[in-house]
Amino acid sequence: MGECPDARLMAGGTDLLVRLRHAGADTKPPLILLSKIPELADIIMANGDLCIGSGASFSAIMAHTLVQDHAPMLAKAVGTIGGPAIRNMGTLGGNIITASPAGDSLSPLYVADAQVVLVSPGGTRKIKISEFINGPGKSDIRKDEILTQIRIPLDDGFQSHCFEKVGLRRSLAIAVASFCGRLRFDEDGTVAEARFAWGSVAPTVARSINAENALTGNRLDTKSIKKSVAEATASLSPINDIRASAHYRRTVAGALLKRFLENPQREKKHV
Amino acid sequence: MNKDTHSHTRLEIGKSHPRGDAADKAAGREKYAADHYPENVLWAGAVRAGIAHGRLLAVDVSQAIALPGVITILTAKDVKGSNRQGIIHKDMPVLVDDRILYCGDPVALVVAETKDILSRAIALVRFSTETLPAVFDPESAMAENAPLLHEAMPGNFLMQAEIRKGDAESEFSACDAVVEDEFSTPVQAHGFLETENGVAWQELDGKIVMIVSTQAPFRDRLEIGHAVGLPFGNIRMISPALGGGFGGKDGATVQCLLALAALHTEGRPVKMQWEREENMLAGYKRHACRMRYKLGAKKDGTLHAIHCNLVYDTGAYAHLGGEVMELGMEHAAGPYRVPHTLIEGKCVFTNNPVGGAMRAFGVCQATFAFESMMDMLADRLGMDRLAIRQKNALVEGDENCAGVRMITSTGIAGCLDILGDHPLWRSANNWKQECPPGRKRGIGLASVFNAAGYGGKVRDSAIAKVELSLDGRIIVHSAVTDMGQGNSCAFSQIAGHMLGQSPEFIELRQPDTATAYPSGSSSAGRTTYTFGNALIKACEDMKARLINRAGLLLFIDNDRDLALEPGKVTHGPSKRDVSFTQLASFMPHEDRVCISQFVAPVCEDIPDTAKGFFIAFPHIIFAYGAHLARIELDTATGVITVCDYLAATDGGGIINPSMFDQQIQGGVAQGLGYAMMEDFQIREGKPLTKDFTGYLIPGSLDLPDTISIPFLGHESTGPFGLKGVGEVAMNGPLPAVANAVHDACGVRIFHGPITAEKVLAAMNL
Amino acid sequence: MDIKFTLNGNSQSLSTEPDRRVIDLLREDLGLTGIKEGCGTGECGACTVLMDGETRLSCLTLAAQIDGRDITTIEGLQDMEEGIILQKAFEEQGAVQCGYCIPGMEMAALPLLTLHPNAARNDIKIALSGNLCRCTGYVKIVDAVEQAGREIAVKKEGL
Repeated sequence: MGECPDARLMAGGTDLLVRLRHAGADTKPPLILLSKIPELADIIMANGDLCIGSGASFSAIMAHTLVQDHAPMLAKAVGTIGGPAIRNMGTLGGNIITASPAGDSLSPLYVADAQVVLVSPGGTRKIKISEFINGPGKSDIRKDEILTQIRIPLDDGFQSHCFEKVGLRRSLAIAVASFCGRLRFDEDGTVAEARFAWGSVAPTVARSINAENALTGNRLDTKSIKKSVAEATASLSPINDIRASAHYRRTVAGALLKRFLENPQREKKHV
Repeated sequence: MNKDTHSHTRLEIGKSHPRGDAADKAAGREKYAADHYPENVLWAGAVRAGIAHGRLLAVDVSQAIALPGVITILTAKDVKGSNRQGIIHKDMPVLVDDRILYCGDPVALVVAETKDILSRAIALVRFSTETLPAVFDPESAMAENAPLLHEAMPGNFLMQAEIRKGDAESEFSACDAVVEDEFSTPVQAHGFLETENGVAWQELDGKIVMIVSTQAPFRDRLEIGHAVGLPFGNIRMISPALGGGFGGKDGATVQCLLALAALHTEGRPVKMQWEREENMLAGYKRHACRMRYKLGAKKDGTLHAIHCNLVYDTGAYAHLGGEVMELGMEHAAGPYRVPHTLIEGKCVFTNNPVGGAMRAFGVCQATFAFESMMDMLADRLGMDRLAIRQKNALVEGDENCAGVRMITSTGIAGCLDILGDHPLWRSANNWKQECPPGRKRGIGLASVFNAAGYGGKVRDSAIAKVELSLDGRIIVHSAVTDMGQGNSCAFSQIAGHMLGQSPEFIELRQPDTATAYPSGSSSAGRTTYTFGNALIKACEDMKARLINRAGLLLFIDNDRDLALEPGKVTHGPSKRDVSFTQLASFMPHEDRVCISQFVAPVCEDIPDTAKGFFIAFPHIIFAYGAHLARIELDTATGVITVCDYLAATDGGGIINPSMFDQQIQGGVAQGLGYAMMEDFQIREGKPLTKDFTGYLIPGSLDLPDTISIPFLGHESTGPFGLKGVGEVAMNGPLPAVANAVHDACGVRIFHGPITAEKVLAAMNL
Repeated sequence: MDIKFTLNGNSQSLSTEPDRRVIDLLREDLGLTGIKEGCGTGECGACTVLMDGETRLSCLTLAAQIDGRDITTIEGLQDMEEGIILQKAFEEQGAVQCGYCIPGMEMAALPLLTLHPNAARNDIKIALSGNLCRCTGYVKIVDAVEQAGREIAVKKEGL
């Protein structure tokens, strides 16, 4: 990269090559293939974190027992991306750098407060995913940096998990809205902690702290659920596009949260 | 063909023999037009206008032509012929010479050494335009003082027509129940996987040879010749198997551009293949349609009067827009008896992408409206939805809504009976009651029909040629394209059956205008019907001739005991035989060829019900079907799952049951895409759904395992009793799903497609 | 750049632009036209090949990415027992209409059948969910994969 400042890093290529499709040979940037660095595909446990290499394919992530055990919603979410071949090619790092609000892998990372590890000749830094991605297609990556790893803090105290995606078809679909949530309950059944994130309903994947706070310390009942859903839908800022109206996205975002809260055990983690 | 598997298995009508093309296709060996890369090939590509309406002022190719590897850049001044293409109306420029009428109009044609140089050169062609006011929907196009697209077409009307029978306007007062509403259907893209493409070259004698993915090789010659100024006898079209067509390759796509390019490359072959994005922009599409319907019945459910108004958006050029509308109007009141009908149609030019032919053209639009109205009427009358359809179903001898007497096989009632007896219908209430929480279940029906053949005033003819080859096989020279529907496989099966042959003695040749005879297009449910009939006659001739010539060789003075067996003619009593190779070396070439023509029947007794049609009115042969959809609705998101789908179909006799099911399951699949997700969106004449990321067609998880059940009918004019079934199944899913949604949640969707968003919005009203 | 890879069991060395699309390399340079281009954007699966036994879209794969890898195309199926069974099942079940998607479908089915020949119908549909077919409605395609799976399972048990 130092030798060729115009070069672009390419992971799976499933987004980048589509975007470069109509760039003429004279405008195509040189590409550096990250797939040539096998270490980037590692999935390991380190320092209490689940560490997923940026080059790990969606298929590898879905199939990995560490992911299935400690980040089941991530496994589920990446299983909704594209079709099987796309999942063999696309990578978690690529999905993060593409930074689409519809990136299906992202909401579980937001909910888990995952960190991305960025390496440059000057050193290594770690940053929370929600701070790293700062707009559609925009992230805080610097010119000389490579995203090497995603670190997911283990937190097995959450009893309920959910990921659901609504698209216009059941494969090869860009989400109209997606939702990831997790809940930790106290012994008395009140909500100790709630974390929610939505895809495709804001410029980036969005958390709603108000929707989460509406539940904390309360039981899940009609009133608290209603309040949380109202807070959530009020906080989201979806757009109209060819796939759906903003209104529909907002409605579905609320409906997915409501469905989770009304039956929070249905995605119980299978550790 | 795997010879071991099939040797000595004689081909027989009515058996599900594996398709003759399946082994090659499954092995990736089939050569489609797109698979031809002749040596030294050049690449051609069009520069598209990008504006919806304007005047082309100047084209500047200087930068592009300077690019190394660019061979030539052609503009309208290089087109020596009329520079106009079109099936009936020659109104579409090969290259724009004056006005741009839609974004996909080509302003220049670039020929280059490689694909990469081509795309760079296309980007370097500059042109200036004067933008003109444009119209993007039929209402504004019909408005007074609207800008005119074609000077010869006042009001932007390609066609205005009506079908009037009885006195609909006053007979509504005699009805006990009248329902009235408005519907619309979206533009649909064919979505064939092999985009428009071909290769062409000029031979030393000046002739142009083209291998093109086309549904109409013979007609193409006329269009190309007219447009680029070549005697059509100097054009040879070869049409290999198509990677899908569905109507979208009926009419010129790459043909004229390729021929033009080949005239400027000194014999070097030129290849043109549209990218998916170009297919979306410049390929033909299904017409969007807006429909106003009023339907009245007696209190026992007997249909009495209908008045409807259909407006089709044909886009910038005529293509077959008028005929699309004609067909829609002829089907506008369903396969039912309705004594009083007034059906009005308008087909209107706009600056949108071009509406053309697509499977069940014109009809699937009207079927949505009509079959929705049937359910609305049943509800109004408190009648069973199946019963009201059965009560009004056409039978032979009835007059249809266009006033045409049904004298051919008419099996709609039988199809409805199949549906009524089926467990999916009989268990409907139980199934609905077992609905999980958060969901709603519903069942929807639709009766469908679809005319076959070109219709009135058009000679619907095919000429079949069979040949005994020197290596002792029967060559069937198909002259109608196989776009995947399997007509050519049916031809092998017919020839095998007629001549007592097994697959290895039948060779099927795809259309080549140099060796086959003009037989029209692969379209309109007429392909197997018309060519198949011609082929039967040709095979009868061939059979008689082979037996006769074998008799000569065997010194037998009559034909009585001679029979055809795979690869030979045998004489039972003497246990002697003559192999086909022996016969072939005995017979002169012209003796080894049998040619026969079939002309499809036309309506002898044309009613005076129609005004305004140029051709195509009326049709006399129809395929019928009754469809049932069972859906489950997610009440939180509006997402619909089609759980089960049943299609009972009257296609007359069946040549190959497996191929029959293929057509039905495939038609339903396209129909379900049309019902639930397919929506070619356009803003100011520009596609918003630009590629397969934006324009969605169903995947394997989106469709049920559609059940196809044949109604075993017999069409006396058809080959082995057959009627074409390529189109009819397309018509059912949209109304069936709409009716099922209404059954599930009481909400009716009037504007296709029936997306989750529309359903949820309607439920929350 | 010079790349070296295994193509349908044979080693292959050639010189090409590193960013040449593998679909162009296979179809135009090597004449293997069995795989098709339907969209160019990874949405249709018609260009599916296997790389090291896993499905990949050759329209979104660059020449440099297959250097040192093992590539199987539809043309390689005739040398594999599962491949022959699969193609025969497509033929017999009436799964083939226009046929343009079929090579990609078979490539998508092959890894599933190799690992799980008894895969459930819905798992087959999932395995094929990246491959669009416009002709068939998928019913007979899934039937064909089911048939092939049954036959492969019998063969495996027989060993």
